[in-house]
Amino acid sequence: MHEMAVAESLLELAQDVAQSQGCARLERVCVEYGALAGVMPEALELCFEALTQGTPHQGARLELICLPLKLRCLFCGTVFGGQGQEERFAPCPGCGEAVAHAVEQGKELRLREVEAQ
Amino acid sequence: MQIPVVRNVLEANDKMAADVRRKLADRSILALNLISSPGAGKTSLLERTLRDLGPEFRMAVIEGDLQTDNDARRVAATGAQAVQINTEGGCHLNSNLVLSAMEQLDLDGLDILFIENVGNLVCPVEFDCGEDAKVAILSVAEGDDKPEKYPLLFNLAKAMLLNKVDLLEHVDFDLARARAHATRLNRDLAVFEVSARTGVGMDAWYDWLRQMRAAKLAQGR
Repeated sequence: MHEMAVAESLLELAQDVAQSQGCARLERVCVEYGALAGVMPEALELCFEALTQGTPHQGARLELICLPLKLRCLFCGTVFGGQGQEERFAPCPGCGEAVAHAVEQGKELRLREVEAQ
Repeated sequence: MQIPVVRNVLEANDKMAADVRRKLADRSILALNLISSPGAGKTSLLERTLRDLGPEFRMAVIEGDLQTDNDARRVAATGAQAVQINTEGGCHLNSNLVLSAMEQLDLDGLDILFIENVGNLVCPVEFDCGEDAKVAILSVAEGDDKPEKYPLLFNLAKAMLLNKVDLLEHVDFDLARARAHATRLNRDLAVFEVSARTGVGMDAWYDWLRQMRAAKLAQGR
């Protein structure tokens, strides 16, 4: 639901990075996001496209890489993984506890690479 | 040209949230970000809190809504300072909006700043507004499985108010279920059963506010 705000921040950041290297036009923007970052890839792509429309960045590709979830059980310390939201409430493979898993990886939303001219 | 980077996409928001936090810390102002679905009673809860604690604390409210200044006018009627932010369709407040709203407030001598977020249990949770704590409000007219459906809010909040308990006999809301799931997500969550309409249970919430404010003052020393 907040993908437009995310796309705006992302575009601004990518432009900054490109400009710092003397580039004016974005060609490809690569972002990695955690499964719990609350980002819907399709919605983010749509917003990114809408924002670049009619700008020098029109046609720039947005590449989204989903980082798998890494959870740590707060009761026994077992670290385990998964792909989606629902794993957050899956029983711990170590002790069976279904809640209170700390998120070691999954909330990231990071710009990783910019290709620009 | 390929430029490898590692930059947090929401870093602009995080930076401005840090600015908000610094401004508040300088003056030892406690800031609470109130998050609930639409209609859970955030504004009514504030109206009563502002009236009851008015003699004790200087308080201000930043109101977030898509449209209208109805809520700002309601809270301003209690005598507290109020600023309305209209997000014009935006589903959450961010630190930039809060920072500009703060410029319209007289911060000197202020004890508590309430940020009433846009009614929504999803996006407001993701955007740090520079607050000391998020407060979740869930009314018994809603589903008692909200903590299960929207875990992140209940996981991050420091307090949960179960509002409209005066309606309990008319609804099927299971207080124990909501409480159990929320506290399993967050063992330190303070839970208050209140009715902003009748005033039932509000004293415990006020005590929590006093404790939070005292802790904020102690931090500044």
